[in-house]
Amino acid sequence: MKHLSLLAVGLMFSAGVFAGAADTVSVQDAYVRLAPPNAPATGAFMVIKNNGEKDVKVLKADNSASKVTELHTHLNEAGVMKMRPVSAIEIKSKSEAVLKPGSLHIMLIDLKAPMKEGDVVPITLSFDDGSSKVIDAKVVRPTVAPAPMDHMSHKH
Amino acid sequence: MSERILLGIAGLLAALVLGLALFWHPELPDRQLPKAATVAGGDFTLESASGPVSLQDFRGKLVLLYFGYTYCPDICPTSLSATSEGLRQLAPDELARVAMLFVSVDPERDTPGRLKEYAEFFHPQIIGATGTSQNLAEIAKRYGVFYARQKVETAGGGYVVDHTSDTYVVGTDGALLGKIAHATPPDQVVVAIRKYLNQKP
Ligand SMILES: [Cu+2]
Repeated sequence: MKHLSLLAVGLMFSAGVFAGAADTVSVQDAYVRLAPPNAPATGAFMVIKNNGEKDVKVLKADNSASKVTELHTHLNEAGVMKMRPVSAIEIKSKSEAVLKPGSLHIMLIDLKAPMKEGDVVPITLSFDDGSSKVIDAKVVRPTVAPAPMDHMSHKH
Repeated sequence: MSERILLGIAGLLAALVLGLALFWHPELPDRQLPKAATVAGGDFTLESASGPVSLQDFRGKLVLLYFGYTYCPDICPTSLSATSEGLRQLAPDELARVAMLFVSVDPERDTPGRLKEYAEFFHPQIIGATGTSQNLAEIAKRYGVFYARQKVETAGGGYVVDHTSDTYVVGTDGALLGKIAHATPPDQVVVAIRKYLNQKP
Protein backbone atom coordinates (compact mmCIF):
# COMPACT_ATOMS: atom_id res chain seq x y z
CA MET A 1 0.00 0.00 0.00
CA LYS A 2 2.81 2.37 0.97
CA HIS A 3 4.59 1.46 -2.23
CA LEU A 4 1.50 2.16 -4.25
CA SER A 5 1.11 5.67 -2.89
CA LEU A 6 4.81 6.32 -3.52
CA LEU A 7 4.24 5.18 -7.08
CA ALA A 8 1.30 7.54 -7.38
CA VAL A 9 3.39 10.45 -6.10
CA GLY A 10 6.13 9.48 -8.52
CA LEU A 11 3.67 9.43 -11.40
CA MET A 12 2.36 12.83 -10.42
CA PHE A 13 5.87 14.23 -10.46
CA SER A 14 6.69 12.72 -13.80
CA ALA A 15 3.44 14.08 -15.18
CA GLY A 16 4.77 17.52 -14.31
CA VAL A 17 8.10 16.84 -15.94
CA PHE A 18 6.63 15.38 -19.09
CA ALA A 19 3.83 17.88 -19.52
CA GLY A 20 3.41 19.07 -23.08
CA ALA A 21 4.53 22.45 -24.32
CA ALA A 22 0.95 23.69 -24.08
CA ASP A 23 1.13 23.25 -20.30
CA THR A 24 4.57 24.74 -19.73
CA VAL A 25 4.11 27.71 -22.01
CA SER A 26 2.29 30.82 -20.88
CA VAL A 27 1.33 33.74 -23.07
CA GLN A 28 1.06 37.34 -21.92
CA ASP A 29 -0.06 40.64 -23.42
CA ALA A 30 -1.53 39.09 -26.55
CA TYR A 31 -3.10 41.61 -28.92
CA VAL A 32 -3.93 42.06 -32.56
CA ARG A 33 -3.22 45.44 -34.04
CA LEU A 34 -6.33 46.99 -35.53
CA ALA A 35 -5.64 47.13 -39.26
CA PRO A 36 -5.94 50.62 -40.75
CA PRO A 37 -8.67 50.96 -43.40
CA ASN A 38 -7.60 49.31 -46.67
CA ALA A 39 -4.84 47.28 -45.05
CA PRO A 40 -5.51 43.64 -45.90
CA ALA A 41 -3.22 42.21 -43.24
CA THR A 42 -2.22 42.85 -39.67
CA GLY A 43 -0.06 41.42 -36.94
CA ALA A 44 -0.66 39.64 -33.66
CA PHE A 45 1.85 40.26 -30.90
CA MET A 46 2.49 38.67 -27.50
CA VAL A 47 5.11 37.44 -25.09
CA ILE A 48 5.45 33.65 -25.10
CA LYS A 49 7.10 32.30 -21.96
CA ASN A 50 8.54 28.82 -21.70
CA ASN A 51 8.47 27.83 -18.03
CA GLY A 52 9.43 24.24 -18.82
CA GLU A 53 12.71 22.34 -18.84
CA LYS A 54 12.75 21.77 -22.56
CA ASP A 55 13.10 24.18 -25.46
CA VAL A 56 9.85 24.61 -27.33
CA LYS A 57 9.05 25.62 -30.87
CA VAL A 58 5.87 27.19 -32.17
CA LEU A 59 5.47 25.64 -35.59
CA LYS A 60 2.14 27.07 -36.63
CA ALA A 61 -0.50 29.59 -35.70
CA ASP A 62 -4.13 29.61 -36.80
CA ASN A 63 -6.97 32.06 -36.45
CA SER A 64 -10.45 32.45 -37.82
CA ALA A 65 -10.31 36.15 -38.72
CA SER A 66 -7.94 35.87 -41.68
CA LYS A 67 -7.62 33.48 -44.58
CA VAL A 68 -3.92 32.90 -43.99
CA THR A 69 -1.88 32.89 -40.78
CA GLU A 70 1.91 32.91 -40.88
CA LEU A 71 4.83 33.18 -38.49
CA HIS A 72 6.97 36.12 -39.51
CA THR A 73 9.96 38.18 -38.62
CA HIS A 74 11.59 41.36 -39.85
CA LEU A 75 15.13 41.77 -41.05
CA ASN A 76 16.60 45.24 -41.04
CA GLU A 77 18.99 45.39 -43.97
CA ALA A 78 20.65 48.83 -44.14
CA GLY A 79 17.47 50.54 -43.05
CA VAL A 80 15.20 48.47 -45.29
CA MET A 81 12.80 46.47 -43.16
CA LYS A 82 12.10 43.16 -44.83
CA MET A 83 9.28 40.98 -43.59
CA ARG A 84 9.83 37.29 -44.12
CA PRO A 85 8.03 34.11 -43.04
CA VAL A 86 9.86 31.90 -40.54
CA SER A 87 9.32 28.15 -40.17
CA ALA A 88 9.24 28.24 -36.36
CA ILE A 89 9.54 30.49 -33.33
CA GLU A 90 11.81 28.89 -30.76
CA ILE A 91 11.46 29.57 -27.06
CA LYS A 92 14.35 28.27 -25.01
CA SER A 93 13.71 26.63 -21.66
CA LYS A 94 13.06 29.23 -18.91
CA SER A 95 13.06 31.94 -21.50
CA GLU A 96 10.63 33.95 -23.59
CA ALA A 97 9.98 35.04 -27.15
CA VAL A 98 8.80 38.60 -27.57
CA LEU A 99 6.53 39.11 -30.55
CA LYS A 100 6.36 42.81 -31.26
CA PRO A 101 6.02 45.22 -34.18
CA GLY A 102 9.08 45.30 -36.39
CA SER A 103 10.21 41.95 -35.04
CA LEU A 104 8.79 38.45 -34.66
CA HIS A 105 5.02 38.38 -35.11
CA ILE A 106 2.06 36.34 -36.19
CA MET A 107 0.72 37.67 -39.44
CA LEU A 108 -2.99 37.63 -40.18
CA ILE A 109 -3.15 37.86 -43.96
CA ASP A 110 -6.24 38.54 -46.04
CA LEU A 111 -8.68 39.56 -43.34
CA LYS A 112 -12.15 38.09 -43.91
CA ALA A 113 -13.88 41.16 -42.51
CA PRO A 114 -12.74 44.48 -41.05
CA MET A 115 -12.01 44.16 -37.34
CA LYS A 116 -13.23 46.47 -34.63
CA GLU A 117 -11.37 47.75 -31.63
CA GLY A 118 -12.10 45.44 -28.69
CA ASP A 119 -12.86 42.37 -30.81
CA VAL A 120 -11.26 39.19 -29.55
CA VAL A 121 -9.41 36.92 -31.98
CA PRO A 122 -8.68 33.39 -30.74
CA ILE A 123 -5.28 32.27 -32.00
CA THR A 124 -4.17 28.64 -31.83
CA LEU A 125 -0.46 28.08 -31.31
CA SER A 126 0.78 24.62 -32.30
CA PHE A 127 3.98 23.36 -30.73
CA ASP A 128 6.63 20.93 -31.96
CA ASP A 129 5.52 18.22 -29.54
CA GLY A 130 2.06 18.12 -31.08
CA SER A 131 0.34 20.04 -28.29
CA SER A 132 -1.47 23.29 -28.93
CA LYS A 133 -2.86 26.22 -27.03
CA VAL A 134 -5.57 28.74 -27.80
CA ILE A 135 -5.01 32.30 -26.70
CA ASP A 136 -7.38 35.23 -26.92
CA ALA A 137 -5.89 38.31 -28.51
CA LYS A 138 -7.75 41.58 -28.17
CA VAL A 139 -7.90 43.96 -31.12
CA VAL A 140 -6.10 47.16 -30.16
CA ARG A 141 -5.88 50.43 -32.04
CA PRO A 142 -2.28 51.19 -32.99
CA THR A 143 -1.32 54.17 -30.87
CA VAL A 144 1.48 54.07 -28.37
CA ALA A 145 3.73 51.04 -28.23
CA PRO A 146 1.79 48.54 -26.12
CA ALA A 147 2.88 46.45 -23.19
CA PRO A 148 5.24 43.87 -24.77
CA MET A 149 7.84 46.62 -25.20
CA ASP A 150 8.39 46.45 -21.43
CA HIS A 151 9.87 43.01 -21.82
CA MET A 152 12.69 44.18 -24.05
CA SER A 153 15.04 44.70 -21.14
CA HIS A 154 15.21 41.05 -20.18
CA LYS A 155 15.37 39.62 -23.66
CA HIS A 156 18.56 37.83 -24.61
CA MET B 1 57.12 28.73 -6.76
CA SER B 2 57.75 31.04 -9.72
CA GLU B 3 56.44 28.27 -11.95
CA ARG B 4 53.19 28.36 -10.01
CA ILE B 5 52.93 32.11 -10.46
CA LEU B 6 53.55 31.71 -14.17
CA LEU B 7 50.91 29.00 -14.38
CA GLY B 8 48.57 31.25 -12.47
CA ILE B 9 49.19 34.11 -14.87
CA ALA B 10 48.73 31.85 -17.87
CA GLY B 11 45.44 30.63 -16.40
CA LEU B 12 44.24 34.17 -15.81
CA LEU B 13 45.17 35.18 -19.34
CA ALA B 14 43.35 32.16 -20.76
CA ALA B 15 40.27 33.06 -18.72
CA LEU B 16 40.49 36.65 -19.90
CA VAL B 17 40.70 35.65 -23.56
CA LEU B 18 37.83 33.22 -23.12
CA GLY B 19 35.83 35.89 -21.30
CA LEU B 20 36.44 38.37 -24.09
CA ALA B 21 35.45 35.85 -26.73
CA LEU B 22 32.23 35.08 -24.86
CA PHE B 23 31.13 38.51 -23.75
CA TRP B 24 32.71 41.02 -26.05
CA HIS B 25 30.32 41.95 -28.82
CA PRO B 26 31.78 44.86 -30.72
CA GLU B 27 29.21 47.45 -31.76
CA LEU B 28 28.66 47.26 -35.48
CA PRO B 29 29.20 50.62 -37.12
CA ASP B 30 26.01 52.26 -38.37
CA ARG B 31 25.54 51.46 -42.00
CA GLN B 32 24.93 54.76 -43.68
CA LEU B 33 23.06 55.14 -46.90
CA PRO B 34 25.41 56.42 -49.58
CA LYS B 35 25.44 60.18 -49.11
CA ALA B 36 26.77 62.65 -51.71
CA ALA B 37 24.42 62.85 -54.67
CA THR B 38 21.64 60.55 -53.45
CA VAL B 39 20.18 62.52 -50.55
CA ALA B 40 19.77 65.90 -52.20
CA GLY B 41 16.04 65.97 -51.51
CA GLY B 42 14.23 68.72 -53.36
CA ASP B 43 10.78 69.57 -54.64
CA PHE B 44 8.26 67.22 -56.18
CA THR B 45 4.58 67.03 -57.05
CA LEU B 46 2.37 64.04 -56.32
CA GLU B 47 -1.33 63.23 -56.50
CA SER B 48 -3.59 63.27 -53.42
CA ALA B 49 -7.32 62.72 -53.02
CA SER B 50 -7.82 66.48 -53.14
CA GLY B 51 -5.62 67.08 -56.17
CA PRO B 52 -1.93 67.61 -56.82
CA VAL B 53 0.22 68.17 -53.77
CA SER B 54 3.69 69.73 -54.01
CA LEU B 55 6.41 70.03 -51.44
CA GLN B 56 6.50 73.77 -52.27
CA ASP B 57 2.94 74.05 -50.88
CA PHE B 58 4.36 73.58 -47.40
CA ARG B 59 7.05 76.29 -47.35
CA GLY B 60 7.19 77.74 -43.87
CA LYS B 61 6.28 74.36 -42.34
CA LEU B 62 8.40 71.48 -41.23
CA VAL B 63 7.48 68.54 -43.47
CA LEU B 64 7.68 64.91 -42.39
CA LEU B 65 7.92 62.52 -45.32
CA TYR B 66 7.27 58.83 -45.08
CA PHE B 67 7.48 56.40 -47.96
CA GLY B 68 5.42 53.22 -47.68
CA TYR B 69 2.21 51.56 -48.90
CA THR B 70 -1.19 50.65 -47.50
CA TYR B 71 -0.78 46.88 -47.95
CA CYS B 72 2.22 47.11 -45.62
CA PRO B 73 1.36 44.70 -42.83
CA ASP B 74 3.55 45.95 -40.01
CA ILE B 75 6.28 48.47 -40.72
CA CYS B 76 4.15 51.37 -41.99
CA PRO B 77 1.58 51.03 -39.18
CA THR B 78 4.42 50.93 -36.64
CA SER B 79 6.12 54.03 -38.03
CA LEU B 80 2.91 55.94 -38.64
CA SER B 81 1.44 55.23 -35.22
CA ALA B 82 4.65 56.35 -33.47
CA THR B 83 4.87 59.51 -35.56
CA SER B 84 1.20 60.39 -35.21
CA GLU B 85 1.36 59.81 -31.47
CA GLY B 86 4.29 62.24 -31.51
CA LEU B 87 2.17 64.75 -33.46
CA ARG B 88 -0.60 64.40 -30.86
CA GLN B 89 1.87 65.33 -28.12
CA LEU B 90 2.77 68.63 -29.80
CA ALA B 91 1.22 71.89 -28.64
CA PRO B 92 -1.39 73.25 -31.11
CA ASP B 93 0.91 76.08 -32.23
CA GLU B 94 3.70 73.57 -32.88
CA LEU B 95 1.41 71.21 -34.76
CA ALA B 96 0.27 74.12 -36.94
CA ARG B 97 3.87 74.41 -38.16
CA VAL B 98 4.18 70.74 -39.14
CA ALA B 99 2.90 68.88 -42.20
CA MET B 100 3.17 65.19 -42.93
CA LEU B 101 3.06 63.32 -46.23
CA PHE B 102 2.58 59.60 -46.56
CA VAL B 103 3.93 58.77 -50.01
CA SER B 104 2.90 55.41 -51.43
CA VAL B 105 5.57 53.63 -53.46
CA ASP B 106 2.88 51.17 -54.61
CA PRO B 107 0.79 53.26 -57.04
CA GLU B 108 -0.54 50.11 -58.67
CA ARG B 109 -2.67 49.33 -55.61
CA ASP B 110 -2.78 52.64 -53.75
CA THR B 111 -5.20 55.11 -55.28
CA PRO B 112 -5.27 58.62 -53.76
CA GLY B 113 -8.69 57.91 -52.24
CA ARG B 114 -7.47 54.75 -50.60
CA LEU B 115 -4.40 56.58 -49.29
CA LYS B 116 -6.47 59.35 -47.76
CA GLU B 117 -8.53 56.92 -45.67
CA TYR B 118 -5.44 55.05 -44.62
CA ALA B 119 -3.36 58.10 -43.65
CA GLU B 120 -6.15 59.85 -41.77
CA PHE B 121 -6.73 56.76 -39.65
CA PHE B 122 -3.38 57.57 -38.00
CA HIS B 123 -3.67 61.34 -37.85
CA PRO B 124 -6.06 63.75 -39.62
CA GLN B 125 -3.09 65.91 -40.61
CA ILE B 126 -1.32 63.19 -42.62
CA ILE B 127 -1.78 63.62 -46.36
CA GLY B 128 -1.65 60.49 -48.49
CA ALA B 129 -0.14 60.92 -51.95
CA THR B 130 1.36 58.93 -54.77
CA GLY B 131 2.50 59.35 -58.37
CA THR B 132 3.57 57.48 -61.44
CA SER B 133 6.24 54.82 -61.06
CA GLN B 134 8.74 57.04 -62.90
CA ASN B 135 7.96 60.06 -60.74
CA LEU B 136 8.28 57.99 -57.55
CA ALA B 137 11.54 56.39 -58.69
CA GLU B 138 13.03 59.80 -59.39
CA ILE B 139 11.95 61.21 -55.99
CA ALA B 140 13.21 58.10 -54.22
CA LYS B 141 16.61 58.49 -55.85
CA ARG B 142 16.90 62.09 -54.69
CA TYR B 143 15.88 61.27 -51.13
CA GLY B 144 17.86 58.05 -50.79
CA VAL B 145 14.68 55.99 -50.42
CA PHE B 146 14.89 52.35 -51.36
CA TYR B 147 11.92 50.17 -52.29
CA ALA B 148 11.57 46.93 -54.18
CA ARG B 149 8.74 44.54 -54.90
CA GLN B 150 9.02 41.02 -53.54
CA LYS B 151 6.83 38.20 -54.75
CA VAL B 152 4.95 36.69 -51.82
CA GLU B 153 2.21 34.25 -52.73
CA THR B 154 0.16 34.70 -49.58
CA ALA B 155 0.26 38.50 -49.60
CA GLY B 156 -2.80 40.26 -50.97
CA GLY B 157 -2.11 40.91 -54.65
CA GLY B 158 0.84 38.51 -54.72
CA TYR B 159 3.61 40.87 -53.63
CA VAL B 160 4.95 42.94 -50.78
CA VAL B 161 7.17 46.00 -51.13
CA ASP B 162 10.33 46.17 -49.08
CA HIS B 163 11.07 49.77 -48.26
CA THR B 164 13.23 52.07 -46.16
CA SER B 165 11.27 53.05 -43.09
CA ASP B 166 12.81 56.25 -41.80
CA THR B 167 10.81 59.47 -41.73
CA TYR B 168 12.49 62.26 -43.70
CA VAL B 169 12.43 65.76 -42.25
CA VAL B 170 12.27 68.69 -44.66
CA GLY B 171 12.87 72.19 -43.33
CA THR B 172 10.65 75.25 -43.70
CA ASP B 173 12.76 76.27 -46.72
CA GLY B 174 12.38 72.91 -48.47
CA ALA B 175 15.85 71.62 -47.64
CA LEU B 176 16.25 68.06 -46.42
CA LEU B 177 17.32 68.29 -42.78
CA GLY B 178 17.57 64.71 -41.67
CA LYS B 179 15.70 61.53 -40.75
CA ILE B 180 13.82 60.11 -37.81
CA ALA B 181 14.65 56.41 -37.53
CA HIS B 182 11.98 53.72 -37.80
CA ALA B 183 10.45 52.70 -34.44
CA THR B 184 11.55 55.89 -32.68
CA PRO B 185 9.20 56.10 -29.67
CA PRO B 186 6.63 58.95 -29.71
CA ASP B 187 8.30 61.00 -26.97
CA GLN B 188 11.53 60.98 -28.93
CA VAL B 189 9.64 61.84 -32.12
CA VAL B 190 8.45 64.94 -30.28
CA VAL B 191 12.00 65.80 -29.23
CA ALA B 192 13.19 65.42 -32.84
CA ILE B 193 10.34 67.51 -34.29
CA ARG B 194 10.97 70.28 -31.76
CA LYS B 195 14.69 70.24 -32.50
CA TYR B 196 14.00 70.69 -36.22
CA LEU B 197 11.28 73.27 -35.60
CA ASN B 198 13.68 75.44 -33.65
CA GLN B 199 16.50 75.00 -36.14
CA LYS B 200 17.17 78.15 -38.16
CA PRO B 201 17.21 77.41 -41.89
CU1 LIG C 1 4.37 39.94 -41.25
